[in-house]
Amino acid sequence: MLTRAGWIRAAWMFCLFGAFGFGLVVVFRWWGGWHPIIDMPIVTLVSLLVAAPFGFLGGIGAFDYWVYYALGHPTRPEDHSGHGARSWKDYFRVNTDHKVIGVQYLTTTIFFFFAGGLLALLVRAELARPGMQFVDTQTYNGLFSVHASLMIFLFVIPAFAGLANFVVPLMLGAADMAFPRLNALSFWLLPIAGIMMLSSFLVPGGAFACGWTGYVPLCSTHEPLGAVFFNQGVQWAGASSIMTALNFLVTIITMRAPGMTFWRMPLLVWANFTTSLLVVVATPFIAGSQFFSMFDHVMHTAFFDPNNGGYALGYQHIFWFYSHPAVYIMMLPGFGIMSEVISVFSRKPVFGYRLMALSLMAIVVLGFSVWAHHMFVSGMASWLRVPMMITTLLIAVPTGIKVFSWLATLWEGKLHFRTPMLFALGFLSMFVIGGLSGVMLGSVPIDIHMSDTYFIVAHIHYVLFGGSVFTIFAGIYYWFPKITGRMYNERLGKLHFWLTFVGFNLTFFPMHILGTEGMPRRVADYAPKFAGLNMFISIASFGLGASSLIFLYNMITSWRSGEIAPSNPWRAMTLEWQVSSPPPIFNFDEIPQVVGSPYGYGMPGAQHAILAPARTGTPEEVAVT
Amino acid sequence: MRRGSIASLLVIGIVAGGIAAAVALALPWLPTPASREAGRIDFTIWFVVVICIVIFSIVAAALIYSILTFRARPDDLEDGPPIHGHTGLEIVWTIIPTILVTAIGIVSAVVLSRDDALGKNVLRVNVTAQQFAWSFSYPEAKGLTSGTLMLPKGRSVQLVMHSKDVIHSFWVPEFGQKEDTVPGLTTTLHITPDRLGTFPVICTELCGLGHAVMRTQAVVMTPTAFAKWLKSQTAAVSSPNPSVSGAAVFKNNACGACHTLTAAGATGKVGPDLDKLPAYAAQAKQPLESFVQDSIVKPNAYIQPGYHPNVMPPTFGTSLSKPQLDALVQYLVSSSKKG
Repeated sequence: MLTRAGWIRAAWMFCLFGAFGFGLVVVFRWWGGWHPIIDMPIVTLVSLLVAAPFGFLGGIGAFDYWVYYALGHPTRPEDHSGHGARSWKDYFRVNTDHKVIGVQYLTTTIFFFFAGGLLALLVRAELARPGMQFVDTQTYNGLFSVHASLMIFLFVIPAFAGLANFVVPLMLGAADMAFPRLNALSFWLLPIAGIMMLSSFLVPGGAFACGWTGYVPLCSTHEPLGAVFFNQGVQWAGASSIMTALNFLVTIITMRAPGMTFWRMPLLVWANFTTSLLVVVATPFIAGSQFFSMFDHVMHTAFFDPNNGGYALGYQHIFWFYSHPAVYIMMLPGFGIMSEVISVFSRKPVFGYRLMALSLMAIVVLGFSVWAHHMFVSGMASWLRVPMMITTLLIAVPTGIKVFSWLATLWEGKLHFRTPMLFALGFLSMFVIGGLSGVMLGSVPIDIHMSDTYFIVAHIHYVLFGGSVFTIFAGIYYWFPKITGRMYNERLGKLHFWLTFVGFNLTFFPMHILGTEGMPRRVADYAPKFAGLNMFISIASFGLGASSLIFLYNMITSWRSGEIAPSNPWRAMTLEWQVSSPPPIFNFDEIPQVVGSPYGYGMPGAQHAILAPARTGTPEEVAVT
Repeated sequence: MRRGSIASLLVIGIVAGGIAAAVALALPWLPTPASREAGRIDFTIWFVVVICIVIFSIVAAALIYSILTFRARPDDLEDGPPIHGHTGLEIVWTIIPTILVTAIGIVSAVVLSRDDALGKNVLRVNVTAQQFAWSFSYPEAKGLTSGTLMLPKGRSVQLVMHSKDVIHSFWVPEFGQKEDTVPGLTTTLHITPDRLGTFPVICTELCGLGHAVMRTQAVVMTPTAFAKWLKSQTAAVSSPNPSVSGAAVFKNNACGACHTLTAAGATGKVGPDLDKLPAYAAQAKQPLESFVQDSIVKPNAYIQPGYHPNVMPPTFGTSLSKPQLDALVQYLVSSSKKG
């Protein structure tokens, strides 16, 4: 029991490795004559934030197969005992089934969505009235910093990874991802990152409070120990993200069913393919920026410390070189989900499929050329501003192509306003607003006025909440029947949508005005003239927060006792709907043969693929209301 | 296209655009400009907003019309027509946005170069940012430092900016212009004030626990008044027997941004209430005058309960001359005794 892969072994190996890390630091520092021998930042970093998590991962079994292989043990017969969900316990261990991993991702990310959301509500509670009522300014700065970090690294990015994890292999006609064991490891890195960021609140000095952007020198030499928890948490989340992206790239390139050319791939697959390109190229840059910042903090190096020859702006360039592509990492999978949902619920092919795929590629390429639009007022070389403005404005073109194509998909369609479609329509309107405010910000003179004000906060949330989160909700509702084998409650779904849509707009639209009128962002307090709007926004935000409880209730009760779902409740053509809900453990009885487009709606007799007769579940024609 | 759909689309588009335009015009979005640069920035904003409202109206029209017209009954199992694309339309909605964003880029680049261009007879002001206060000095008037940014109307001002610790950012909403102050670098910002008045100077880059209160004021005065102010300040500093006014030192270092002092009409709430200095000194068991002096030059030595260390800049001991410091201490001692 103590040595079997699992939580008990994870617990003692966590402690053992942590102690080893502690010992390593002490021995080296004693031998090298560095005092104090127990330097708390270094000890915490090596022991708690690096060594101990490796112990946890080893204990829970994420490395088992590779360790056996490396030690030269005879390979154990592949009995697939670690593959597939036969009981609830399978979701709490290292499991190689992409469908289990997908559910693990989704439940974990939804947990962090609520954690991050709670922090946002604490922020809004403090901002409701001028002056400080509930927390001091240092704690307040920690609240919004951890809020953003959790939402970005522990919710949006991995939630898309989780949905794609479940759906993409099925859409390709594959039995699983190319690297199922790597897939399992990718998931288990995530709770480590999230717990690290949350636990920074408990560390002496409090949570990291320099914003999720972690600008130096504030975040390297002026922050308490909590900053290191952010530096390291990002590394664990980044590693997870990179491994998953590699997995997707190999799976999509090599494991498509016979007949599925790139131009017969569903757009969700295109979206995850292009996102994975962004992830593998860009993520190492944030890893680098955080390593340098952390070394400046903990080991007194001078990468960015101007007192010792460092260059403070260097951090921003390296950081934003990832973090701008990151926003596309947080949006492109959503674009893929939109193409699926809008075409199915309009009963029409996606309009302009080829340009839709090419525009994803264009966004990837252009997305690497715009990073310094986050630095227009940073004091960087002034000549860089105009080229970055040009590329930033140009990226509106492929994005606009997608919006117009979705609108054209709706045109003359047969529109069914089920919950996934409602979120898709909500996305279209909200993302356009966020995108237009982004075009405004692309103009350097306008950005000079708007930068670091609440106008930016409004823009961010229109594209990330009205954009990304709405698509995540659409995807969860859309694939809920496939994942759980049950239908979600449609009335609760619609109620969730409307409360969210209204609450979202009431909360975030007024922030545009706050910003243009002069309220800066990341402030614990503000000038009294902004009091009325802030109170209004805070009240609206609590309504928005409450609406997510309806979502949670729907998910839990529907999974337990919702109506049993047929294999194809939406009468969709992509491959995941041609198997039972939930799918058999190895997805397909025989590899399908793809013969046509996945969007052959309106063409009688059009087929996407030919499947061997399934052993469980048959495609049904009746639409479920 | 269905018959009548164009008319409906136009109507919905005009209504949507009208609502958007009403929101844009009726709400008080922007502060009244007080600099030429803000005037140009506002023009750029309106130029882009008009384009955005047009795009928004087109999208809203298509979306709303589709939602109203193409809704299918739940039991309608039919598919829509298999429309895969339309090359002409796709070319149009690629080319037109490209033209629009190019126009925005050109207008913006022109405005940017005009805003950056220094005029003749530039007034240079050195800006120093530190956690959590601003200070300004005027090379034209040697040795003159001030906690408030005094500017003459109509003159081209170049702010030459430094930071002592972390990244801060200088912004006056009415001036439009904003730029970060970065430790290890010199950054510059060009402002041509063109309206009299007093405007807030706001730090717009998260700089620590005092970020929200790192504020002071910019005062735009007539060139004559500015020249008089420069002379009086310079005279006070450089004359052999400077009769430095403690009240002036208090005002020029923006102490009132953080402290309350009735004699000065100051109502700041960030730091302790200076009307209560005698009570604080008694609480700290120190004589009043030395307590006041230490509180200014060594603010972290004793923290009044209920307040935080590391908010008040610890540099006043060096930034104030001895006559200024003495005058300030006397001023505070006598003002707080009255209050």
